Amino acid sequence: MLALKGLGKTYAGGVQALAGFTLDARPGEIVAIIGGSGCGKSTLLRLIGGLDAPTSGTVSIHGETVHEPHPLINLIFQEPRLLPWLSVRDNVGFGLAHLPRAEQAARIEEALCRVNLEAYGDRLPKALSGGQAQRVAIARALVTRPEVLLLDEPFSALDALTRETLQQHLLDIWAQTRATMILVTHDIDEAVSLAHRVIVLKPWPGRILDDIKIAHPHQRSGVPFEQARAKVRSALHQSLSVPAPADIRTARAQHPSVLETSP
Amino acid sequence: MTMNALKAGSVSDVASGAIDGPSRTAAGSEAPARPVRPAGFSGGQWGGALIRFATAVALPVGAFLLWEIAVDSGLASGRLVPPPSRILTTLVDLWTAGQLVDHIVSTCLRVLLGFLAGAAAGALAGSLTGYFRVAHAVVDPTLQALRAIPSIAWVPLFILWFGIFETSKVVLIATGVFFPVYLGVSTALLSVDRKIVEVGRIFRLSGFDLVRRILFPAVLPAFIVSLRAGLGLGWMFVVAAEFMGASEGLGYLLVDGQQLGKPDQIMSAILIFAVIGKLSDALLVRATAPLVAWQDNFSRGGL
Repeated sequence: MLALKGLGKTYAGGVQALAGFTLDARPGEIVAIIGGSGCGKSTLLRLIGGLDAPTSGTVSIHGETVHEPHPLINLIFQEPRLLPWLSVRDNVGFGLAHLPRAEQAARIEEALCRVNLEAYGDRLPKALSGGQAQRVAIARALVTRPEVLLLDEPFSALDALTRETLQQHLLDIWAQTRATMILVTHDIDEAVSLAHRVIVLKPWPGRILDDIKIAHPHQRSGVPFEQARAKVRSALHQSLSVPAPADIRTARAQHPSVLETSP
Repeated sequence: MTMNALKAGSVSDVASGAIDGPSRTAAGSEAPARPVRPAGFSGGQWGGALIRFATAVALPVGAFLLWEIAVDSGLASGRLVPPPSRILTTLVDLWTAGQLVDHIVSTCLRVLLGFLAGAAAGALAGSLTGYFRVAHAVVDPTLQALRAIPSIAWVPLFILWFGIFETSKVVLIATGVFFPVYLGVSTALLSVDRKIVEVGRIFRLSGFDLVRRILFPAVLPAFIVSLRAGLGLGWMFVVAAEFMGASEGLGYLLVDGQQLGKPDQIMSAILIFAVIGKLSDALLVRATAPLVAWQDNFSRGGL
């Protein structure tokens, strides 16, 4: 359903962030994308989300090419990016303005329940903890009932305990919605315990190094988990050993923002 | 906390259950937020307001008292700097003569009209240059050059163009108000966080919806600050405007006081400016505070 064909992105200034990225995601599949910096992970999600236009290749959903943000695709950023002037409820309902009020309210309550925040609807974002804010962001993405959910290191800024809780939340949500998820992460455990498939990237420019199927997904321990983890780890080590080319190092020193589109 | 409770669930469940009730489970792994502290001081709302007011006026009242004593005891003559008692007498005289209200009203009216016109024009121009790159490239350099002109320099020209009566005065005040509002709105729009704009784009907002739902609320705090700066300049320019020939207004009282050698009248007018300037600013802050209550400010955090 979500098909990426030969996706490439070269930023102004000649830095090639991503090259020839091809991926077919089945409906309901969770694909983890893992790799060090310079692999074009964030670039990839921005292309799928329609925030940036690819230099080459296409993104398509149900055979329809994506040129701009698509109603069936939603993106959850590394930071919650809540609108500080809206209550939690209005933040969650942000993407529902086109629906009748009653329908909006019903969907908002449903989404708040999904992330266990039904008691927090009237709060302002400033009165939320980091984990709560990120759950609101997840609810905001869910209310529009996307078929594809893009997650850009969504839990990396949270403490370990909160992260684990939210990972479990995400799996619960997946079980209910069966949305296709593309999860960018730099955490091996997160990738292996959440995904059906882990794609390891190698950098400069970002390309696929390995595509590892997780035989027994959604486990956090046990022999299959350890084996999958070892496999991902060794691929990731291979990826990290690719040295940055001299021109990239120069470009980085001069324009630190070129390669990291989000900090 | 009993051992049974600890056995019954994880520590986080117990911690959250104690506050949110037993229905909360997984969500409770984060510390529940504390109840919001009531605003103001603890000694009741009126008591708090009184203390704040007393603190605010302590400095000027103290200074006035010292000066009164200095003049009264003969340490200073008080001829050019009249003591507060004489200013008060002058104020009462002006009031009973029935002119003071007219002076105040006409000055306030000029500021109000000039402020409304200047703020509207500044907000409009600032929105256009902040939103449209082309407009910024074409218009902003010129406006910045115009901004560099001391607005008083316009006075002779405005008198030639608009005559010596109300129009030229209001236009001068509007000119003064325009620039801070323009600059505030324009720069605020240009510096709206890209990350928040991207949220709007992900939800496929564009054009007017993006402005209404993301850009406008995002720049509102900066807009209000620029309005306050504009209003301050409005009070500044009303004096300049009334210097260029007025038969009433607080600026007229100043000129009249200078020409007839009445320092007490000058001081009275200055005092009234201080009071209504502060009042109008407080009014603006009060009226707009609910619009920006969402801000996560240091001062609102409570210190």
